[in-house]
Amino acid sequence: MIPSATQSSSGVRRVLRFLLAEMRPKGPLMTPFNMISIPVILLGIGILTVRFIYGLGSVTNLSQSYPWGLWIGFDVVTGVAFAGGAYVLTFAVYVMGVEKYHPIVRATVLNGLLAYVFYAGALVLDLGRPWNVINPIIGNSFGYNSVLFQVAWSFLLYMLAEALEFSPAVAEWLGLKRLRNFLRSLTLGAVIIGVTLSTLHQAGLGALFLMAKPKIHPLWYTEFIPVLFTVSSIYAGLSMLIVEGSISHRVFSDQLDASKHHQHNEILLGLGKGVAITMFAYYFFKVLLFLHDRQWHLLASGWGAWYLVEVLGCVLVPCVMFISAVRTRSLGLLRVAAVWALVGILLNRLNISVIAFNWQLPVRYYPSWQEIIVTLTVAFTEIWVFRWIVVRMPVMREPHELPHAAPSVVRATV
Amino acid sequence: METYTYVNIFETKGLEYLLLISFLILFAILVRYLSTPPRDR
Repeated sequence: MIPSATQSSSGVRRVLRFLLAEMRPKGPLMTPFNMISIPVILLGIGILTVRFIYGLGSVTNLSQSYPWGLWIGFDVVTGVAFAGGAYVLTFAVYVMGVEKYHPIVRATVLNGLLAYVFYAGALVLDLGRPWNVINPIIGNSFGYNSVLFQVAWSFLLYMLAEALEFSPAVAEWLGLKRLRNFLRSLTLGAVIIGVTLSTLHQAGLGALFLMAKPKIHPLWYTEFIPVLFTVSSIYAGLSMLIVEGSISHRVFSDQLDASKHHQHNEILLGLGKGVAITMFAYYFFKVLLFLHDRQWHLLASGWGAWYLVEVLGCVLVPCVMFISAVRTRSLGLLRVAAVWALVGILLNRLNISVIAFNWQLPVRYYPSWQEIIVTLTVAFTEIWVFRWIVVRMPVMREPHELPHAAPSVVRATV
Repeated sequence: METYTYVNIFETKGLEYLLLISFLILFAILVRYLSTPPRDR
């Protein structure tokens, strides 16, 4: 039945009232995280205002020799690798049918979506002319010859695919059951497109560095950087799921019933198994490339020692820790290994994009304090948004039914 | 004249082949090791 105009306007008012009610804080405001993050975010907003008025040089240590610094090296290149868990997990759950991981799939997709919005969005901060960011999309200047063309389109389409994957949770939150069912029917298609796009741009980010062969130290430069970026994004994403899942499980424990607590441990151990196997393959790939390029002589230097720290200390060691943690079912060791693996990914991405980039120049790049504050601002803001959504929408709760007493007229009109 | 020695594993990329073969064997062992539950002590 088509609702009358009066019913529709009443429904809109109810939705607005509902949304306004949801805007109110739920929970204590004076928590340790809030006390730290609020001043940092406010300071970060101030720094970004200065950056957009006076330019990059006013707040960063970037130069013609080092055009890419912390904002690209950490926020974009590392952040996107950390977000790789979403495409791996959705592939496992929706395509391979591994239902064991279904309870964490929504939180993972939400985390991935927000990571792309904030970390890939941080690319805008680092552009000298940020208003040109839209050019590859609207066709003002597509730039077909640039890898960034592929990265830009991949980022955009992948964010849309992830938004579609998460949209059933929003429909449930609003009480729109029929819309929820329709959106759920689109999930598999969105996942398949999303996985394709994700592998494309994980490799694309690595391909950005292919043109910088003379600038990157030979221990880190290889024509297989795109493949290494893709493989490492799998274990980076899964490690991030272990860390993020452990924290979320503690912070949002009130949203989980008792049976889910034991299930959660099994999920973490399963993820750890996946990480161990992927890291093992990645480590051998690194060794193979090292042998193929005959780089023995490069090890006898400070750069060689630094390379060994990354490959042995931050890939092989956490890989062995993961194997041990899975075999002994030690969740503590698993979490330590996950953090260690993430540090290794951070080191690898920063080595390629910042530390071993222009390694032969006498002048080095160090991030300014403003760059560090803005990076923290991006991370903290993402956590705030993640928390806001998880508290209100059915992300952790199972089964995903319609939990809210949502506006009845709206339910009837959709 | 410099001669090519087929027994030099560096020249023949033998080291890379050996690495790949050992990887495949170790990979299968690792997957099996992680898939079987540990025995009760």
